[in-house]
Amino acid sequence: MLPNKVEASVEEAVADIPEGARIMVGGFGFPGIPEALVKALMDRGVGNLTCICGPWYGGTRRTIGTASLIASGQVTRVITAPPVAPGPDPASEDDRMHLEIMPQGTLAERIRAGGAGIGGFYIPTGIGTSYEEGKERMTIGGVDCIFEEPIKADYALIKAQAADTMGNLVYRLAQRNWNPIMATAADVTIAQVDEIVDPGMLDPELVITPGIFVDRIVIAGGDNDPS
Amino acid sequence: MTLPKIPRISRELMACRVAAEIQPGHVVHLGPGLPEMVPPYVLPSRGAVFHSANGILGFGPRPEHDIGDVQLVGSGGRTVTLLPGASIVDQATSFGLIRGGQVDIGIVEASQVSESGDLVGPVEMGGGMGSHAAATDVAEGAKLVIAMMEHTTRNRSPRIVTRTDYPVAAKGCVDLIVTDVAVIQVTPQGLVVRELARGWNLADVQAITDPHLSPAPDLGYMSFWMIGGDIPSKVWKSGPEAVADIPDGATILMDGFAGPGGMAQYLIRSLREQGAKDLTLVSNTAGIANVASFGTPPGFLTIDHSLLVESGQVKKAIASYPVSPRPSQPSAFELAYRRGDAELELTPQGTLAERIRAGAFGIAAFFTPSGAGTTLAEGKETRTIDGREYVLEQSIRGDYALIRAHKADTLGNLVYKGTSRNFNAVMAPGARITIAEVDEIVEPGMLDPDAVVTPGAFVQRVVQRPADFHPYEPV
Repeated sequence: MLPNKVEASVEEAVADIPEGARIMVGGFGFPGIPEALVKALMDRGVGNLTCICGPWYGGTRRTIGTASLIASGQVTRVITAPPVAPGPDPASEDDRMHLEIMPQGTLAERIRAGGAGIGGFYIPTGIGTSYEEGKERMTIGGVDCIFEEPIKADYALIKAQAADTMGNLVYRLAQRNWNPIMATAADVTIAQVDEIVDPGMLDPELVITPGIFVDRIVIAGGDNDPS
Repeated sequence: MTLPKIPRISRELMACRVAAEIQPGHVVHLGPGLPEMVPPYVLPSRGAVFHSANGILGFGPRPEHDIGDVQLVGSGGRTVTLLPGASIVDQATSFGLIRGGQVDIGIVEASQVSESGDLVGPVEMGGGMGSHAAATDVAEGAKLVIAMMEHTTRNRSPRIVTRTDYPVAAKGCVDLIVTDVAVIQVTPQGLVVRELARGWNLADVQAITDPHLSPAPDLGYMSFWMIGGDIPSKVWKSGPEAVADIPDGATILMDGFAGPGGMAQYLIRSLREQGAKDLTLVSNTAGIANVASFGTPPGFLTIDHSLLVESGQVKKAIASYPVSPRPSQPSAFELAYRRGDAELELTPQGTLAERIRAGAFGIAAFFTPSGAGTTLAEGKETRTIDGREYVLEQSIRGDYALIRAHKADTLGNLVYKGTSRNFNAVMAPGARITIAEVDEIVEPGMLDPDAVVTPGAFVQRVVQRPADFHPYEPV
């Protein structure tokens, strides 16, 4: 029998995420944020989470997004890239939230390395800046580089436009962003989609995230209205 | 200090001045803030490809009549439109192409720039929290980095400084500073003023600048004129023309996994005619298609790498599978290797793909578990990470890549067909000059941006395989 990865509800899809989990959340600005999964996770109230995400300046007031999860008090550690968005000021929160910040391309590459089984890599970005502090430096082919480690997660909450029941995913326009790389880098990848179709309904040439990377899929609402 | 009360140019004119730096066909990264004002001043006929950090290549102005598509937002957080020939990539590719040198001009807003080109991102943004955004990546990776800023802060202290007051986003990376009073070039000899806003002289600008400024020999007033020129066409008439400049000793990325389906056979044959020697081939197989059947009609040989090996053009192969599956029928490369005519660097298949990807995306080297403890790890650094042994592998960058795709648009965006994607999509970003052999060339806008596998930013030349091209040669 073909695997059926479809979950009945967002609540069920995130039901087993425990306290202290490391969670990747996709999205850049508004497009691609799995807001229903994030909301379900907030409703569960599990704490001490580590959130791995891009800049979370989207979804601050009227909408549910990465920003609201981080503001919820459930997150104690954020691994992200600048700009670090408005929200709880880390300094005023009695160090309740630990921030690890790195250049955006380095974050993307570390997540991709986590998904691709790479043990670490040497990258020139950030050389001579504070990003280099505490990191190994090596000159390779005349270029000064910093050693960066892969990042993995227990769960990835991602958003795609459509899935088939085997978890193959397609994205629409700027919705893609962090989602395909995060899908590869977590033990359990949960995708919120607008539409689920039967296997064979997605053109294999157009599948961006193959189903082997995706464990659970659930249908939930469209993108937030940014107005 | 008494400040001269001379009018400064508007932010719009600053954007217009920056736009004048953009050459036809340039890939231009726009950071948040002032750089977002640049696109309206770039004529569409210049064919600039605007890149935003979230993975859009080829975005256009904001939608005119409505809020736009909520799934099409630029990195500045506002909806944008797509121009014909746009494509979408994921976050790792979006920054990989920045590091890999595919961005001709990176435009960033700055708070401060030092004498030596150190960049401080806009610290005032977001109520003082600052917004380096992608500035670190862009400043490090773009060929030309332009910093835009007002010449002084609100309380009138210089932004061009001897030493920065904030943590730098990138060190020694800014090439050109465009302010509301001057255009200043960062050179190893110091800061050189190229242009002044009308009404300003060098002494006036020096008075509001920390480090010493020297005048350019042709110092003049700011020019907002665009230099003319056509968008260079990527479409080449024939294979022989497209490969004509490949020099002796070049490193060439080319492959079709193993079978003929994904192989740039027309370009391979053109390269044989061209005759460049001492080539290093980076390929999965180094040519086994013509000894491994793959449906080859009897009496014929598939055109593959073997053509170049047999004509004595190949000095070395970096490959994972260079031997024939039939020992009785060795490949041309095997024979050349046994004769001592060609060298081989054997690398595991996944490592080969990863080394090419690393070269394409500005990763110098990486640790992989593949090959650890085997002869493939000999002479390489190893490291135990989380209890597992890893081997350090170096990136590979090609001088040329010969790519086989199904369709291209005239801007070089590519889509593939079936398994012919294989190494082609990995190799396309990995060379200085990437030449794609395709079945069909269409106009920009004819390929779905979501379906483009290789964005045109990676592709320099496109050639149509002739309709009468025969992928086999008689034995």
